[in-house]
Amino acid sequence: MPLALYSVALVAYVWHFSARDAAVGRAATTLLVAAALTHTFVIGMQTMGAGHVPIAGATSAISTFVWLLALAYLYTEMTTDERAMGVFILPLLVALQAIPAFRPSAEVASPVLQGPLFGVHVSSLLFAYASFALACVIGITYVLLFKEIKAKHLGFFYARLPSLQVLDRMNQRAIAIGWIFLTLGMIVGAVWATQARGYAGSDPRVQAMSLQDPKIFVALVCWAVYSFELFAARRIGWGGRRAAYLSALGFAIVLLNFVPISYFLTKSHNF
Amino acid sequence: MRLLLVGINHRTAPVELRERVDFQTGGIERALQELAGRGVALEAVVLSTCNRAEMYAVCEDVGAARADLVSFISQFHGVGHEDLVPHLYDAADLDVARHLFRVAAGLDSLVVGEPQILGQVKEAHQIASEQQVVGPLLNRLFHASLGTGKRVRTETALASGAVSVSYAAVALAKKIFGDLKGRNVLVIGAGEMGKLTARHMKSQGVRQVTIISRTMAHAARTAEAIGGSAAPWDEMDTVLGASDIVITATGAVAPILTKAHIDAVMRPRRNRPLFVIDIALPRDVEASAGEIEQVFLYNIDDLQATVRDNLARRSGEVSRAEAIVGEEVERFGAWFRSRGAIPTVVALRQRFEAIRRSELERLDFKVASLPPEARARVDEITHLIVEKLLLTPTEQLKALGDSDTVGAYSEAITRLFGLEAQQAAEQQVEADAERERGAGRVEPFRRPQNRPR
Repeated sequence: MPLALYSVALVAYVWHFSARDAAVGRAATTLLVAAALTHTFVIGMQTMGAGHVPIAGATSAISTFVWLLALAYLYTEMTTDERAMGVFILPLLVALQAIPAFRPSAEVASPVLQGPLFGVHVSSLLFAYASFALACVIGITYVLLFKEIKAKHLGFFYARLPSLQVLDRMNQRAIAIGWIFLTLGMIVGAVWATQARGYAGSDPRVQAMSLQDPKIFVALVCWAVYSFELFAARRIGWGGRRAAYLSALGFAIVLLNFVPISYFLTKSHNF
Repeated sequence: MRLLLVGINHRTAPVELRERVDFQTGGIERALQELAGRGVALEAVVLSTCNRAEMYAVCEDVGAARADLVSFISQFHGVGHEDLVPHLYDAADLDVARHLFRVAAGLDSLVVGEPQILGQVKEAHQIASEQQVVGPLLNRLFHASLGTGKRVRTETALASGAVSVSYAAVALAKKIFGDLKGRNVLVIGAGEMGKLTARHMKSQGVRQVTIISRTMAHAARTAEAIGGSAAPWDEMDTVLGASDIVITATGAVAPILTKAHIDAVMRPRRNRPLFVIDIALPRDVEASAGEIEQVFLYNIDDLQATVRDNLARRSGEVSRAEAIVGEEVERFGAWFRSRGAIPTVVALRQRFEAIRRSELERLDFKVASLPPEARARVDEITHLIVEKLLLTPTEQLKALGDSDTVGAYSEAITRLFGLEAQQAAEQQVEADAERERGAGRVEPFRRPQNRPR
């Protein structure tokens, strides 16, 4: 159900982007709000069923991630009054939401995955990923507009996107927020893993929690990429296009970590 | 009730004449009061801008009112009748609506789609409202014109994109920096183009405009003219490092800013974007400087190309804008024509009321014995019955579309209900409808040039 609504909203955003019709734009936002509300309801039901927010297990984590990203995007849209980004975000929402929709899995209440620390770990990482997704999309639009202005072909994106400066600032803000939550999530995860070793040392997944595990390793790579971007943008003038490319690279790694590695490679996070 | 327009604009009259008949200098308020005092125009609005002077009026007799308006314009401005008449155009009824809607949409402007005209139309109507010389007809007409103007602006790209080089530069700067508040502008050279562009930047609220010229005195004079500050030539690098937008407009033969030069400035700036507008010929900035990351270099040709694109896009939107104007004229026309049914409606109501009264009088002896409250009740009930009977026919008549139908219905009703007493008023409506079709036009005036060329 949320998937269908997200798809319809996607169509509306594409329509709005190409036709620049204000009424279609409002309709698109309304549809997305409806989708997010429905999604909230679905997640709420799952929470009631499982007794906690559905974040344990890759499939339900993706759904929660999509929900967070939709909310984060709606927040950006309402604060900046800028709908142009929707056409880039919505495809991602639809693609990711398709995974839980076609591969539903019941929320498993594994005894290991209890306690507030685990909740903080997963939710702050999901929020960080949502921020990075926004940053990536903003970065892509920055590059598109940058190229048009540089090439002196003021056309499609020139007429539709906000200014380079605004895009750059939004990108930096999204990265900074994402970085804070990524750092928090990783620290909490490490603390949780140490504690878990105490009472669930026999669980093979807990034993696999080390830097050699692909999921943990790639997460560290991500952290390094975003830390570098934040540093570079502030200290050595790597703002603008380079920052945009870095945020796209960073999010590619996040996605890689989030979907294929979670499903196929990791030994420590395959809940 | 007829609509009438008499006016001159940038297409029919040279600027010398337009200056002489400019109502703003003579006082629009005074003009409206004097016009109202003549008693021919029942409602009036004066629209006076640098490109047009137009009088919109409501009158009974178009021919007489037109003659009166022309002699009024001639007397008010002291312009000879024979000097004025060849440059005037006029329109009546729905052609007035079409003309005003096109004006409000920016279709009749010198630069198609220019934004000020909508505000000027609104102001013209406001002034007339304050002077209490507008009534229902012109109120409706001007509200509809503002609605048309807004529709054209939101639904078409007629008013989009900068159409002068200096505005194009400002628009680009905004696309790079967003808000220009707090930005620093450097102007190299003291030419007119540089000054003009700097002025536009200044009006966008930039923090500082610095002018550098080979001769300090020139720089100081230009700085004073646009409200900036001057700096000596050898401080160029320092100022360049602190600037976000650079406008070069010197008469130098060789480039004054080379790629290496700008490259050196960019490093300490930590790659903050630099927008370089080179409006000099020959060029002041090495073309390869545009290859530097975060340097956006536009020369005069690039800016002119974007202006050409914008103009082409605007003219491509004209037909869509005309279609919107057509729809709105149609909608206004439906309302305007439905007013033609009003005499019939009035006559019909009077007829019914007369019948009610005469019947009550005739049958008075039957209710004479009743107490006064009961007699009052009888009067009230019969009145309500008549109202109920008339409600649907009245609504239907007012909703009729074109004047032919209105005429046919009016005639039928006149015959069916024997409304001969109102025959005179009826004939007036017929005559109006006839003239609306163009038969009653008086020759010496040209029609406004409504169609796109």
